[in-house]
Amino acid sequence: MTMQTLADWIGEVRSVTIGATRADGGTRTGTVTVGGERDLSFVGTPPTGHRPLIAYEICDDRSLWPAPVNRFLGDRSSDPGEWARWAGQEYAPDLIRLFLTSTRKRGFSDPASVTSTVESVLQATGLPLIIEGSNDPALDSEVFRRIGEAGEGERLLIGTAEAGHYRSIAATAMAFGHLMIAQSPIDINLAKQLNILLREIGLSYDRIVIDPYTGALGYGFEYSYSVMERIRTSALKGDDDLTMPMICSAADSLTVKEVREADPSESDRISVSWELYAMLPAAIAGASIVCVRHPSTIAQLRAGIGALWSSPGGGA
Amino acid sequence: MALKALDIYKLLPKKNCKECGEPTCLTFAMKLASGKVKAEDCPHLDEKVRELLGASTRPPVQKVKIGVGERSFTVGGEIVLFRHEKAFFHEPGIMTVVSDKMDADTIQEIVADVRDHLMVRIGLDLRMNGIAVCSEGGSPSAFGKAVEAVEAVADLPEVLMAEDPAVQEAGLAVCGNFRPLIHAASHDQYREMCALAVKYGCPLAIRAPDLGSLARLSGLCAAGGASHLVLDLTSASLHEVLNSATAVRQHAISRTTPALGYPIFIDTRATGLPDAALICGVLKYGSVLVADAVPKESRKAFLVLRQNIYTDPQKPIQITPGIYRVGNPGPGAPIFLTVNFSLTYFTLQGYLEASGFDSLMLIVDTEGLSVLTAVAAGKLSETLVRDSLKQFGVPDLVSHKTLIIPGYAAPLSGRIEDETGWKVLVGPRDAADVAEFLEKEWT
Ligand code: B12
Ligand code: SF4
Repeated sequence: MTMQTLADWIGEVRSVTIGATRADGGTRTGTVTVGGERDLSFVGTPPTGHRPLIAYEICDDRSLWPAPVNRFLGDRSSDPGEWARWAGQEYAPDLIRLFLTSTRKRGFSDPASVTSTVESVLQATGLPLIIEGSNDPALDSEVFRRIGEAGEGERLLIGTAEAGHYRSIAATAMAFGHLMIAQSPIDINLAKQLNILLREIGLSYDRIVIDPYTGALGYGFEYSYSVMERIRTSALKGDDDLTMPMICSAADSLTVKEVREADPSESDRISVSWELYAMLPAAIAGASIVCVRHPSTIAQLRAGIGALWSSPGGGA
Repeated sequence: MALKALDIYKLLPKKNCKECGEPTCLTFAMKLASGKVKAEDCPHLDEKVRELLGASTRPPVQKVKIGVGERSFTVGGEIVLFRHEKAFFHEPGIMTVVSDKMDADTIQEIVADVRDHLMVRIGLDLRMNGIAVCSEGGSPSAFGKAVEAVEAVADLPEVLMAEDPAVQEAGLAVCGNFRPLIHAASHDQYREMCALAVKYGCPLAIRAPDLGSLARLSGLCAAGGASHLVLDLTSASLHEVLNSATAVRQHAISRTTPALGYPIFIDTRATGLPDAALICGVLKYGSVLVADAVPKESRKAFLVLRQNIYTDPQKPIQITPGIYRVGNPGPGAPIFLTVNFSLTYFTLQGYLEASGFDSLMLIVDTEGLSVLTAVAAGKLSETLVRDSLKQFGVPDLVSHKTLIIPGYAAPLSGRIEDETGWKVLVGPRDAADVAEFLEKEWT
C-alpha cells in the first residue's frame, strides 16, 4: 500500500492533438496528443493525461542559431529538410519545431522561400510540426499566410503570438485549421489576458498552447518554473482561461555565459546538461511540450521523462 | 494547525513541578507555543497529549542539521508545497558516495574534490556538501577505516550508510561526534539504531517498504528518543520517488500525517539516471541527495538549478545601490550605469574586469530588476539616474560628464541626457562586448 497524494483538483488541462495523418487530410505518419492532466505532472499511478513530449528545434538560417549546435551539426544544419529528416530518424523526437529564422533577419525579402521551406520540411519528415514565423508586423501577414497554406490540412502548431502581435497568427490558425502558441512574459495574468483576447477574436480555446516564456537556467528560469506551476495549478483548480497545455523551450540555454565560454572539448556535454537541467524541470512544472536544440539532449530527456512517467508494474 | 499557549496549557498536567526546567506549566505552554521547547520535555504528559502537542507545535517539516562546523547544513523547516506560495528555505545537500571497498587514495581523492570544488555565482559560493560512506562488505573494520580515510582529508558532513548496527557503530566510533546522518533504521533493527542515534546525538534516516509503515516507524523512533529523522524514499523508479515525495510533503504541510513531517532522503543511484534523479530531488522535496561523483559538466547545472529553485521568488537577489570600482579607476575612468539585480551586476563586473580597463559602476535601485525588465516595467528612469548621480556624489569622482548606459536602455538615452546634462554613450547590449566597445569608443 502506498499512501496517496492529497490534492482534490477539479479541473483538467485541455487535450490538443497536433498533426494530421492522411485519414484526417494531412500527410503526417502519426499525430501526437498532449494535455488531459487532472493532477500535477507525473503524479498518480499511472499519471493522468498524456506524457510530456519532446520537440527538436531546427531553423532555416543557421547564422541565428547557437554556436555549439552549429559546431556539432556541421553542414547538416544548412538544409532544413535534410536536417529534419536526419534528426527524426537518428534521434526520434516527438515533433519537429522549425524556426523560420530567415524572416527575422534585417532586409528579408523572399517570402516565397517560406512556402518552399515549409513544404520541404513537410516532405522530409512525417513527424507533426511546429512552425515559428516572423516577428515583424510588416511581414507577418504574408509569412503566416504562406505557412498556413503550405501546411493546409496538417494541423500545424504555429507561433508565436504575443500581446502586441497575434492577429496574423490567429487569422492563419482559423483560416487553415491550425493550432497556435500564445506567449506572455512570465506572468500568469498576462497569459490569461492573451487567451481571452484570442477567444474574443474567434479562436477557440482548444487551439491554443501556452508559452509562459522561458528564462535560461541561471537567467530567470526560476520565474518561468514557478509561473508554470501556477498556470498548471490554476487549470487544476478550474480556471478555464488557463487550461491549455504549455510549451517550453530551452531557446536561450545555449547562449548563456557558462555554455558560451565552455572549453570546446566540453561544449557538447555542457550544452546537453544546460538544456536537460532546464527542460526536465519544465516538464515537472507542467509543460506538455519541451523543446531542445542540441540533438544529444533528446535521449537523456526522453529517459528522464520516461522514468518519471512509468513505475515498474504500473502505467505505460 | 498551530495551537495557542492557552489551548496548550489546558492540556498540561498543571503540576508546576518544574521538571521540564520551566518555573510553571504556563511558562512551559507559552514556550511550547512559540517552538522554544519540545512537548517531550514534560515527563508527565500522557501519550495522546504528547503526540497532539508534538505534532502541532513543531514546524510541519522538522529541521535537521547534518555535520558540524562551517560546512554543516540544515534541511527541513519547509512550509509550502510550491515555491511561489512563499519560498523553499533549506536547499538539499548533495552527498557524494565513497565505498569501503575503495582504497584510501581513491576515497581521499573524491573527498578532496568535494571539499575543494567551488562555483562562485552572483557573489555566492555554490558547493557540493558532503560524503556518503557506504558499507559494502558488511565489515565493521573496513567501514571504520573508510570513515577514517574521509576524516583524514576534510571536515565534511557525512552520511554513514550501514544497515548493520555493529558496522554503523564502527563508523560512529570514528566520526560520531560530528553529527553524521545515520543511515538507516528499519523495522528490523530500529531499536539498536535509535540507541546509536541517541548515544551519539546524531540524526537518523529511516526506511520502510511503504509510507504507512514509514510513518509508524518514525513514531517508534521518536518515542525511542531519536527525533531528528530523515525519511528515505529511495526507489528504483523516479516515478515512485516523485510520487512518494509529493505525498510526504502534502501529508506533512497539511499536518494530515505529522509522522511524515521530516526531510526527505533520496539515493539517486538506485534509478540509474543520476541527472534526472538529482533534478527530481531538487524540485520535488529532496533534502539529502546521495549521488556518485557528479561529472563536472552536470555539476554546474545542478548547482545553478538548486540555487534558482531556492531563491526567494518575491525578492530577487540584489546588491546595494552605489558606486563600485573595477580595478583602480582614476578621475578619467569610464563610468557604467547599471541596475541592482545581482546577476546583472556580477555579469557586467566580470566582463569589465576581463576588459583590463579600470572603471566605475553606478548601480541604481531598480528593486532588483534586470536591465530589460526594469526598462519594460518603467523602473529604470531618467529621474532615477539623475537622483543617483547626485546621491552617490558621482560628479566629484570623475573629471568628465559621460555616462555609459546598457544597450537595452537605449530608448532612455535622450531623456537621461536632458534630465542630467550628462552626455550619454549607449553601450553594447551584451556585456560580453564591453571590452571591444571600450577600445573603440573610450579614448
Ligand atoms: C527573469 C525575467 C523577469 C523576472 C524578473 C527578474 C529580475 N530580477 O529582473 C520577472 C518574472 C519578475 C519579470 C517581470 C517582467 N518582465 Co521579464 N524577463 C525576465 C527574463 C527571462 C530574464 C531577465 C534576466 O534575468 N536577464 C539577465 C540579466 C543579467 O540581463 P540584464 O540585466 O539585461 O544584463 C545584461 C545586459 O543588459 C548587459 N548589461 C547590464 N548592465 C549593463 C550596463 C552597461 C553600461 C552595458 C554596456 C551593458 C549592460 O549585461 C548583461 C549580460 O549581457 C527576460 C528575458 C531576457 N532574455 O532577458 C524577460 C523580459 C526582460 N521581461 C519582459 C517583460 C515585458 C516583463 C514584464 C514587464 C512583464 C509584466 N509582467 O508586466 C515584467 C516587468 C517587471 C514588473 N512589472 O514587475 C520582456 C521585456 C520586453 C522588452 N523588450 O521590453 C522580456 C525581454 C521577455 C520577453 N521577451 O517578453 N521578468
Ligand atoms: S514538567 Fe510538565 S507538569 Fe511539570 S511544570 Fe513542566 S509542564 Fe508542568
